[in-house]
Amino acid sequence: MSKHVSRPLIASTVAAACTLALPALAQGRQLTLTTQLKNYGGDGAYLAVYLTDSKGAYVRTLWVAGGKAKYYKHLTDWNRLSGSDARRLAGVTGASVGAGRTFKVTADLADALIDAGYEIRIDAAAEDMRDSPSDVRMPLTSQSVGKSQTGKQYVQSLTYQLK
Amino acid sequence: MGWKAVHRWLGLVAGCLALVLGVTGAFLAADPVLQARHASPVPAGLSVAALAERVQRAMPGVEEIRRLPSGAYVAYGFDGEQALASYVDPADGRALPGYRPSELPRWVKNLHRSLLLGDAGRWGAAALALAMALISCSGLVLLLRRMGGWRHLAGPVRGSLAQRLHVLVGRIVLVVLCLTSITALYMSSTTLGLLDLDAGPEPDVVSTIGNQGGLPAAQVPMLQSLGARDLRKLNFPSATDPEDAWKVTTRQGQGWIDRYSGQALAWQDSTAAQRVYDWAVVLHTGESAWPWAVLLGLAGASIVLLWWSGLFVWWRARRQAVRITGNSPPAQADALVFVASEDGSTWGFAQALHDALVRCGHRVHTSGLEKFQTTPSTRYVFVLAATYGEGQAPTHARQALERIGRLPVGTAPVAVLGFGDRQFPAFCAFAKALDQSFRARGWRALLPLECIHQQSSQQFAAWGEALALALGEPLALNHAPRVPPSTTLTLVSRQDYPGRTDQPTAILRFQWPRRGWRDRLRGRGLAHFAAGDLVGIVPPGVGVPRYYSLASGSEDGFLEICVRLFPDGLCSTHLHGLKPGDAVQAFIRRNPGFALQGRRQPVVLIGAGTGVAPLAGFIRRNDRRTPMHLYYGGRDPAHDFYFEPEIRGWLREQRLASLQTEFSRIAGGGYVQDALRRDASRLRDLLRRGAIVRVCGSRPMGRDVAQTLDGILGTLRLSVQQLKAKGRYAEDLF
Repeated sequence: MSKHVSRPLIASTVAAACTLALPALAQGRQLTLTTQLKNYGGDGAYLAVYLTDSKGAYVRTLWVAGGKAKYYKHLTDWNRLSGSDARRLAGVTGASVGAGRTFKVTADLADALIDAGYEIRIDAAAEDMRDSPSDVRMPLTSQSVGKSQTGKQYVQSLTYQLK
Repeated sequence: MGWKAVHRWLGLVAGCLALVLGVTGAFLAADPVLQARHASPVPAGLSVAALAERVQRAMPGVEEIRRLPSGAYVAYGFDGEQALASYVDPADGRALPGYRPSELPRWVKNLHRSLLLGDAGRWGAAALALAMALISCSGLVLLLRRMGGWRHLAGPVRGSLAQRLHVLVGRIVLVVLCLTSITALYMSSTTLGLLDLDAGPEPDVVSTIGNQGGLPAAQVPMLQSLGARDLRKLNFPSATDPEDAWKVTTRQGQGWIDRYSGQALAWQDSTAAQRVYDWAVVLHTGESAWPWAVLLGLAGASIVLLWWSGLFVWWRARRQAVRITGNSPPAQADALVFVASEDGSTWGFAQALHDALVRCGHRVHTSGLEKFQTTPSTRYVFVLAATYGEGQAPTHARQALERIGRLPVGTAPVAVLGFGDRQFPAFCAFAKALDQSFRARGWRALLPLECIHQQSSQQFAAWGEALALALGEPLALNHAPRVPPSTTLTLVSRQDYPGRTDQPTAILRFQWPRRGWRDRLRGRGLAHFAAGDLVGIVPPGVGVPRYYSLASGSEDGFLEICVRLFPDGLCSTHLHGLKPGDAVQAFIRRNPGFALQGRRQPVVLIGAGTGVAPLAGFIRRNDRRTPMHLYYGGRDPAHDFYFEPEIRGWLREQRLASLQTEFSRIAGGGYVQDALRRDASRLRDLLRRGAIVRVCGSRPMGRDVAQTLDGILGTLRLSVQQLKAKGRYAEDLF
């Protein structure tokens, strides 16, 4: 359902950000992402969770699942966009995620990133299967908190909370 | 540590785990074979551009086209929300049914490469690959040693069933196993991050958005220039990202193309490491080359056979090995005993000599002949040498003659004692060569060369007496031959041939206790046997067994021998006194050179008297109706035509193709060689067509038969000696 919904959703949130002009809070917010994978019938998936800005430019890597650098090229969008970020793997890597499993990622975000056109993206790939750049994209807005987004091939649902 | 030790210990230890890799590898080899049926022929000259155009027409949402190693093309895309993946026909872009990433469960692959233990398991599997490479290399060295060099590598293999299996299978799959291990190591080192295959970071390229729309695939110059046959992967520009570019990957490298202008944005050649990797994958997995995958699969499965036979050979050798007790270091010993033995039996004699010398106050060092070396303390040197095959040295002592020729001549006198069997033309040939070499080099002789026939304890004791005289010491050699564990056989029936003037004969049929699987596994109970093998009978109160040729095999369900009574023969007297229900102790001794191991060539069987027994056994089990021709010589058809009713029956059943008999004590009679001469032209014809010959009877009869056949074969430029060397002619003489 989400593919058709996502465009208007972004449009409306961008509009909301412009008109409401939320008061800027000094402290950051904690983002908790919960991702459940589909039973895609393959080995553990490599995933890259990252943020892009309103122009689609890479901002920051939130999490990379899968430990072998030689497979990172299969996370095509992230690998290309984050190529110049020397710290893209700093403290944000873990094991690959099995089909059907759920994993959680937490990250501290500056307030300025929320409701400002930023987007959470997940690239996914598994051995002998298709690479899925931007398998799921979800706007980083306070309205999307608690809502679920389905990915193209690997991600069953992506939801997040902000504290 | 020698090659043999490397081969043995790596094989035993790493071998059990390599079994897992072998079996799973064999299983995985099925994938390329199954995938191969999806390959479609590629039209000549088809470009990537044309292929992409065709596929896009048939599947508008296509995002990626891959050419699988099998040669099949797969297109991935979306139909709205629905992810699509299917084979496509390169001829028209049409979707073909049946796409699945792999035909086999994934856990098999994971077990194969990581033992289901993640990265630790990958290191483990890589270590196993290294072990496998070492096992293959040491195996090649041992194989060359055993066969006597590259030129003899394809020659006939002798030894027990397990030894033959190990050598025959190893000879075929060794190269394949070596190759798979080396490629596995290469693949592991890339996965474990020891080797980098990438040409560097991918370029950050974008399509420059202009006024015009995207260029169709058919008009992109780079895609036009690339052949569909070389394609690995083609990624279409994303429908949602206007800056996305074409990305194309071929065997040569990968390129990026502007989606609007069609201009190449970047190109990266694949690295040399990547090209090697591509080859390693093909060689290791057989993908893209299914006949090779079949071979790989067989090689993988053969590890089971190699491991089992290797284990068996090792276990047998271990059981037969004699460990010398009370060995002094060579530098302190005054008497050195060197042993050359193929099957280990000579070590028993060495131990007896060793013990006798120790009892006389000597400090003795006993070791293998390959370690021949004297020291300043050496006063006597003894060499106990068996002969292997056609007069060769036992395998471990192959270099011994050369070594002795190289070492300086010592002051200590040498005594050489040979062990062998007079049945073989090269009786004690190796011991003779050793003795000659010592004399020629100028070593003093302690005793003249003596040759012991069939491990005779009496002859050995007599040699001991001569030694005692030479040393001037009260030396006594007590050698008790080692009798293998025996089984109780029960006589079920006997058929008597009273004989006219000479000794009676009986065909005795025994039963043996059935073995459970546990006994079988441990090698307990009566071993599996075939006609032509020998049964050793241990008469009560006598430690020395007598051997009889078997007229039946395990499959027949009974054990049959044909025994002629010898007036002073302890064993034959005991056997002739048996009544049905009585028991004897017995064990099986294999006679691998004589038994017919499922050969398909015609067979000429020549037997006299009780010597017909193993030949009858061959015919009895000739279920495949191989042409067998029996020449039988006796004295009087009324008295000593053993197995006559059976033989007539086998003729009718065509288990036996022809029968020629000759009896010496009837009017106009003769010997079996007369029957051969009479049939000379047919025999020549049979032997020209590759027939094999088995002769069983007395030693004089064997000699006469060989002479007669040599006469018959003369015109073919063949000889009994040549046939023997090829394993086509074997004798069982007594």
